[in-house]
Parts: sequence; structure tokens; C-alpha cells
Amino acid sequence: MEKTGKSRKRLRAAKELNRVVTEYYVECGRAKAEGKPVGWMPPMNGAIEIFYAMDIQPVFPENWSPICAAFGLAERNFEVAEGMGYSRDLCGYMRNIIGYVHGLMKEEGTPLGGLPEPDILLSPGGGCVPVIKIFQALERRFPNAKVYPADLPQVPTEEIRQHHVDYAIAEIHRLIDFLSQATGRKLDQDRLKEVVKLSDRSCELWDEIMTYRRRIPTPFSAAEIGIMFVMVTRQGTQTAVDFLTTVRDEVKEKSAQGLGVLEQEKIRLFWDNIPLWYNMGLFNHFEGMGGVVVAETYSSAWSLRLDVNRPIEALALKSLKSYPMVSCVSVDKRVEMVIKACKEYSIDGAILHRNKSCLPITLGQMDIKRALEAELGIPSIVIDADHMDSRNFSVEQFRTRVDAFMEMLLARKS
Amino acid sequence: MSSELAARFHDAIENQEPRLRTLAAQGRRILGYFCTYTPVELIHASGFVPVRVMGGVRTLTKADTLAPSFLCPYMRAALDKALSGEYGFLSGIVQGYTCDAACGAVRIWERNIPGEIYHTIALPYCDSPSSRRFLLSEIDALTVKLRAIGGTFSEQSLADAIELYGKIRRLILKLYQIRYDERLSIQASDFLAIIQAGFMTPPEDYLRMLEDSAPITGPSVASERGGTRVLVSGSLVEDPKILDLIEESGGLIVADDLCTGIRNFEPVSGFGLDPIQRLIDRYMNRAPCPCRSRVSDRAPFIEHLLERSGAQGVIFLFQKYCTPHLADHPSLVEHFKAKEIPSIAVEMEETGVNEGQLRTRLEAFFEMLR
Ligand code: SF4
Ligand code: SF4
Repeated sequence: MEKTGKSRKRLRAAKELNRVVTEYYVECGRAKAEGKPVGWMPPMNGAIEIFYAMDIQPVFPENWSPICAAFGLAERNFEVAEGMGYSRDLCGYMRNIIGYVHGLMKEEGTPLGGLPEPDILLSPGGGCVPVIKIFQALERRFPNAKVYPADLPQVPTEEIRQHHVDYAIAEIHRLIDFLSQATGRKLDQDRLKEVVKLSDRSCELWDEIMTYRRRIPTPFSAAEIGIMFVMVTRQGTQTAVDFLTTVRDEVKEKSAQGLGVLEQEKIRLFWDNIPLWYNMGLFNHFEGMGGVVVAETYSSAWSLRLDVNRPIEALALKSLKSYPMVSCVSVDKRVEMVIKACKEYSIDGAILHRNKSCLPITLGQMDIKRALEAELGIPSIVIDADHMDSRNFSVEQFRTRVDAFMEMLLARKS
Repeated sequence: MSSELAARFHDAIENQEPRLRTLAAQGRRILGYFCTYTPVELIHASGFVPVRVMGGVRTLTKADTLAPSFLCPYMRAALDKALSGEYGFLSGIVQGYTCDAACGAVRIWERNIPGEIYHTIALPYCDSPSSRRFLLSEIDALTVKLRAIGGTFSEQSLADAIELYGKIRRLILKLYQIRYDERLSIQASDFLAIIQAGFMTPPEDYLRMLEDSAPITGPSVASERGGTRVLVSGSLVEDPKILDLIEESGGLIVADDLCTGIRNFEPVSGFGLDPIQRLIDRYMNRAPCPCRSRVSDRAPFIEHLLERSGAQGVIFLFQKYCTPHLADHPSLVEHFKAKEIPSIAVEMEETGVNEGQLRTRLEAFFEMLR
């Protein structure tokens, strides 16, 4: 097995996904060419729906990083960022995007046309420190972009009170005012409702799709998790709803026919933390021994619903919940969600990716490990790796440890 | 190395555990905090003794069971200490949201170390009437939580606490002024001890210690020692050895931009009609830290300190893996380069620093500055 490798996908929708990804990036480039305002923003918040409703092109530097990893551009980007003095200990998303905007972005011939320059930067206060710092670095790189300094309370989801919601709502109104001034575009309330409805529908479909994974054998594995691309970049569009409907139909059909990733599914696994974007093939590694990764923490970020009748409040709540649900802001909640998922998905063992590039998702992992053991008797294994930087990952070590873990799980089951 | 003058502050640090244990046994309730963005005045006004959780210099044996190796050495050491029972005198942690490490640490402590309250205050990043209203609600929510465990907050007690901490801050800032003028008779490691002692001593007692320390501001030994004037910038410095090393290698630390330094004390207090507004105003206008501000806010602050102190260069002291500081570093260096301000960076690892190598680097740096 190579250090970097593509996954073997089985869903027909995987091909469709390639088209959706390409189209999105083509659209970003075209928006720029046609003079439509382009705004760069962090993922996992309610601003995406506002952008789509106001017909402003959203671009997600954090999503560009997995794409760079998949196209093998990350090494070059790291080299540029590290040459500028960015420490190798910083999150790989940060080093990748900073390296990209100071390097490859200035050259021709980048896959998918590269990213168009921002007219607007939504610079977050809230979320994790790397994402805050990424945008502060982008502010310096693109001095002509109009900067919106955003604010969002960092509060565990279980402790959200009215004043948090009120402030998040006030901030969305401030964002809308800023965007109107910056672009001269007005927000149409009916259009916003439509977008929020589409966004809610994609969440509903997302949950439904995940539900089919509870089936034994599971119709698809974590190797297909690239489908979340539409949740990151396309929430609030018909494209997302159409694509997810296609995926839903396919997995529904597969489940009805009892078709699984493996004919003989022996071990069902849970994956905690971000996948290794440069080596999605790892998810197929378990298959040789009858193992499938059927659920992961990351997917819960989109497991929420939006109240279409109160669109602004719905977006405020989405912003407040999305990131904390999968990070150390809400360790209790995360433990609870993992326990619940492990029960619902009939998990035999968990793989905890101790991610050098993401402290916020890694912190609390040992508590998850303990809780799994104590409450469900589910064993888990900690794997040292990195979601972006392949230099922090050893395939050999991975294989040795995972194989031993699988053998133990198999022995337990027989 | 430490001077007689700073002896009682060193003593306060060394004997903190038995002292605080005794205090707790006598019925005083002690709450820990990690970061200087925590409104200690509010904790004190609610009847608790705020104590800053430090990691200290130690060999870690327990941190690995709960935290990855790439958590900053400070947080790992603090967790290790807590898991070893050395923070048994705390009733919990109240913390202002700063970095991801601190945010996660509060939650991990909550799950693994007994306590009555574990709380993170969601501080706003922007300053506007609506963000101040939000912070007011956050403060109200915290006082309610503190009341639930026996806290006794009142507007008067907050006014008193603000005055008490204001006095302390004023005295420390006076020491800074004397230091800038090179009239301070102690070395940087002693200066650090004076500040650190304040983290772990009830403020009333600490104020008295400071008031009794007039001799420190006596005739200078620093100027006799001489050396190249430098500013140190970073997050926490816990091990005074690193400061000694700098001064032994030919440097004279005349200013700092540390969270075990000036960032605790600037500004002394805030403006407003009532104590809560004054408290809010102070935390909105705090000396900029990379966790919560931009390089464009920090650079002028550091430049002002350089100017005031006559420091000729900056020594960055990083806790390994500390994202906020590491992320700002390249831009700060670029900014300083354009202004011909030389700088050097040192990373402090869990096992300390490689002394020999560091001495050589520092000597070369000071040589260049001369
Ligand atoms: S959440 Fe993790 S991966 Fe994402 S930017 Fe923050 S540190 Fe990096
Ligand atoms: S600011 Fe840096 S040193 Fe301080 S707790 Fe956070 S990571 Fe650690």
C-alpha cells in the first residue's frame, strides 16, 4: 500500500460527485470572469445560505485543501508556507492554503482552474484558532478584498442559551448589511426561505442516507465520504438536493436488495476525526479482513435541521452548533454522539485518528475511548496520523497496528 | 541565581500547594483559570480565590492518558499535575475562551478531575454595543452558575475587587516603568517570579507583598550587569531558566509581551458607569494576545514597548505546538523586518530547551545587535 492512494469506490454516485466538484470550481472561476462578487468563507456556518440567497459566489479555502491533497499539490503548498516561516506544527489546512495563495495560485494550469481571487473575506471570530488565523493571513494576502470581521460565541451545544442565539442572530443581520453595502445586492426574504428550505432538505437527505448504513451489510463505507462535498460547498442549492437524492436512491436500492460493500461483512468499524485526504484508500484496507468503516464522527456536523419559518434563527443555530458538535468545544456531546452512533450502527470497534493537524478534534478523544470501553465494551485503537500532511503518517505502522486490532476483533466475534 | 529581594515571591511559588491546601481547608473556595482573559475580578467578587493554573517544570507521567503529545507543554504539564492530585484544592475551572488547547482542556478536566464548576466564558471577538450586551449576558450567566455553588456576587463586591486588582496592576506597571529605565535591581527570572507569585496568592496578600517590596526598586544592578537590551514575546514562560540563559548569554531583558507578563496588567481597569461596565470595558480593551487579535493590533503594541524600553530586538519564546503564536509569527517577523527590528525565535519543549545550542544562537544574535 502506498503512503498516498485513492480509495476504491463502489457507489455509482461517485462518478456524479466528480462532475459536481468540477462544476462547482468551474462556477467559481466563471463567477469571477463575469464580475459576480466572490466571497471566501470558513465552512460549517450559516453564512453559506446567505451568500447563495444574495447570489454571491462562496469559496471555501478549507475545502480546497482536500482537493489539493487529492491532486498531490499539498507538498508544494507546504513547501511554500514552511519557506515563509509557518511551522510544521500548524494545522495542514492552514499551511496548505497559505502556501497555495502565495505559490500555485499565481501560476497557470492548476487543476479545476484553481481558486478565483476574493472580493470579500468573511474573517471569522469563532471556530478554531487555525481557521481564524487562516483568514487573517488571507486578509494580508488580498489587501483589496473587503473584510467582514465576524463574531460567533464559542459555546458547547448543550449550553446554548437565548443570549447566544440572540447574538448570533444580530451577527447575521450585521453580515447581511455588510454584504448589501459591499455588493449593492439586496437580500430577498422569499429567496432566503427557499435557500434555507433547500439547506434543510439536504440535511434531511443526509440523515436519511446515513440511516441506511445501519443495515448489515452496510451499502457504503467511509471510502465514499467525499459525498459531504455538497454539504460543505453546496448547502442551500438545488444541486446539493439533487445529488443527495441520487445518492439516497442508490443506497436505498442497495439496502433493499441486501447489497453491501462486502458480501461477508464481519467487522463494523467507527472512524473518529478527519480522514486522511491524501490516502482515502486506507478505508479499503480493512476490507481484506472483512472490516468496513460504517460510521464516522465528522458526518454529524450536518446532522441538524433548519426551521424554514424562521430562516435567520435557523442559520444562527446552525452556526452555533456545527463546529462545536465535532470538536472539543463539546466533549460531552461528542462522547454522547459517538456512543449513540456505535449502538445504532452496531459497531464492533473504533479507530481513533489522533490527528497531528487538528488539535480541536483530537482533544477529548481519550475520553471517547474510555467511554466506549466502559459503557459499551467496544475496543478502540489510536492511530497517529494527519489529515493533510503525509509526512506525519507511516503506512507500515498503520498496517501493523490495524491488522492486529482486526485480528483481535475477529477473535472476539467468533 | 535569585536575589534576596525576590525571595518571598519565589517562596510563594514553591510553597503554593501546601498554602492553598491550608486555605481550602479553612473554608476558602479556590477556582482555577488558565488564561489572562479570565475576569478574575468577577471570580473574586463572587467570594472565590482565583488561582492561575500553571504546569511548572516536571516530568510528565499521566498526561498521555488523556492528551496527545502535540498539546502545548503548558497544558500537558497542568493536566499532569491535576491528574496527580496536586490541584485538589480547586473547586473547578472558570476560563475565558482563548485557544483550542484551553477550550479542550476545560472539558477534559471536567470529565476527569472532580470539581463543582467547569465553565468557559464565550468572549466576543468584536467590540460593538451588541457584543458588549452579549458579554453582559455571559457574565450574568456565570454569576448565576457561581451562585448555585455558593457564590456571593454583588455590585459592591465587584467594585471592591476591581479596585483591589487595579492597585496590584498599578504597582506591577510601576515596576515595568522602572525596568524600562533600567533602574530595576533584579534580573528577569526574579521579575517573572514576582508576577507568577501573584497567580497563586490571594490578591489581598499579594498586594501586601508588593507594597512591602520597595527595596526592589532601589539602586540598579541591572545597569551594572549590562547587556544587549531585548524584549521577550510569547505566551507563558514558566521555567525561569530560559530567562537566565538569555541574560547569561549577553542579553538584558527590559520588556516583555508575555501572558506571564505585561498582558496581564494592561490596562489597569476599564471605563463605564457601573462596575460591570468597567469590567466589560477592560476585557474588550485588553493588551492584544494572538488568540484574540490580529497581527495589525499586536505589532503596534510591541513596537510601543520596544520604543519605551529601548529594546533593540525581540526574542520570541514559543510553547511548542502553540498555534496562536506560531501562526502569527511569520507575519510579525515580516512586519518587524520592514522596520529593521531584528528577532529570533526559541521553542520551549516539554523537556525544556537544548542549552548549549541555544546559548550559541543567542550569543550570535546579541553579537549582531551590538
Ligand atoms: S477544525 Fe481542525 S482541521 Fe479544521 S482548521 Fe481547525 S484545526 Fe484545522
Ligand atoms: S495560547 Fe498557546 S501556550 Fe497558551 S494554552 Fe493556548 S496553545 Fe498553550
